[in-house]
Amino acid sequence: MARPTSFGRDTGLQLRMTLTMFLLGLVYAVLIGVVIAAKLPFLLFIVGGMFLLQLFASDKLALHAMGAREVTPQEAPQLHALIERLCVQANLPKPRVAVANTPMPNAFAIGRSPKKATVCATTGIMELLSPAELEGVMAHELTHVQNRDVMVMTIASFFAAIAAYIVQFGFIFGPMLGGGGGYGGGGNNNNNNDGPGAAVVILVSLLVYAVSFLLLQALSRYREFAADRGSAIITGRPSALASALMKISGTMDRIPQRDLRSAEGMAAFYIFPPKAKAAAASLFSTHPPLEKRIAALNRLESQLQGVA
Amino acid sequence: MGLFDIIAGKRKLARPAPDRLFALSTAYVTFTTELSITTRGVAGIVFQPLETADFEQIAREMVEVLEGTSQDSGTTVETRDDDYDYRWMILRDPDFDDLVVGVNAVSGALEAGGYGERILCAVFAFTDGRGRPLYWIYNYKRGAFYPFAPGAGDHERDTERELRLKAQVGAELPVEPELERWFPLWGIPI
Repeated sequence: MARPTSFGRDTGLQLRMTLTMFLLGLVYAVLIGVVIAAKLPFLLFIVGGMFLLQLFASDKLALHAMGAREVTPQEAPQLHALIERLCVQANLPKPRVAVANTPMPNAFAIGRSPKKATVCATTGIMELLSPAELEGVMAHELTHVQNRDVMVMTIASFFAAIAAYIVQFGFIFGPMLGGGGGYGGGGNNNNNNDGPGAAVVILVSLLVYAVSFLLLQALSRYREFAADRGSAIITGRPSALASALMKISGTMDRIPQRDLRSAEGMAAFYIFPPKAKAAAASLFSTHPPLEKRIAALNRLESQLQGVA
Repeated sequence: MGLFDIIAGKRKLARPAPDRLFALSTAYVTFTTELSITTRGVAGIVFQPLETADFEQIAREMVEVLEGTSQDSGTTVETRDDDYDYRWMILRDPDFDDLVVGVNAVSGALEAGGYGERILCAVFAFTDGRGRPLYWIYNYKRGAFYPFAPGAGDHERDTERELRLKAQVGAELPVEPELERWFPLWGIPI
């Protein structure tokens, strides 16, 4: 074959993503070690249960929180047809399609696996964008589905949730644990010999939470880049997505600060973050800055045109 | 998609599966003799036209090659862009085997140019025994066919008829096993 692929490789992005996940794993290993050493494994079970609940119930809750409603092909023929063609192209089963009735231009994907996925567009984004731009945005969301980003981010934040839980738990019940043998049993009456005390566990948890928070945000940004790239590969039109992003960010500020923004926890799965703050806070943001995303898409367009 | 691909968020467009297009030529014998399904003498191949210089060139050459061979086979070619910015190469020929060969020539030319992954599907138009329109769609990524029978209303499909066809065709044709991948195509220009 003359041209093995229209696009170059993205080794740099792959490396950064893998490194971030490795660091997350490292931080979490420290947390697990401390928790087990402190003989508090029951915490893992409690948070584990919460985690499973989140994984299985979050779809419906998120859709509901966003005011989104699943639509049939008769109700939204254009959107369905657009997604169907992208699915053929991306070799994906067709996800459920939902529409949120809000002027805010945005789109998101939820669901732990491609078969359970739902992609949602707002009425605002469908009015704002041209068909080719909307196609780019939906292809971005389908790439999130294909990359199982909801699953990856949920699993990646599992131990961060444990750490947060321990910190909260510690502030409320800390004195009790610190007192040693506070819950009736006589077997735990000498903390110093058994392992790290409650104060150490809380301190480590606090640290783990802080570090993993930054790592998770970085991971989210990398996966956004990966989804932008995936969208460009599926549609073959990187510039259409770039133009869509510029349009969305342009209107983002002019629309009242309500509606979708209230569901802030879902921000990681939007095409564009509801809170578009200054780039100064980029370390703490779930999405890369617009300029960087546009630049990455421009590079893809150059590769496609055979210039780069 | 492997575990590492999930972790690293790798995206590659699926390449065309091993070509099973010619199974339709064989199955067409059964279509006409047993199911009284006949060709409408028209087929289309749908792909994403990329706006790059060499893609346009490949597309132009493709049409020239097809027009060159059409002197022998009598196939006519027409290019049309649809509402979703996909390009249709529409082939017309009363002989069904020539249609399959023509569609294969288009996909072959795109693949040779390195754009094989841009092909969406090939569509063959038929009429069933009662004169209703019927399409067999070939999904290149899956290497499988599925029937598409438009229903009475707008954006409605006759699922019952499609499922019956699947059973009737049986082992003659590689039919897409996952029903959720029987993607409809609305506004087919053939």
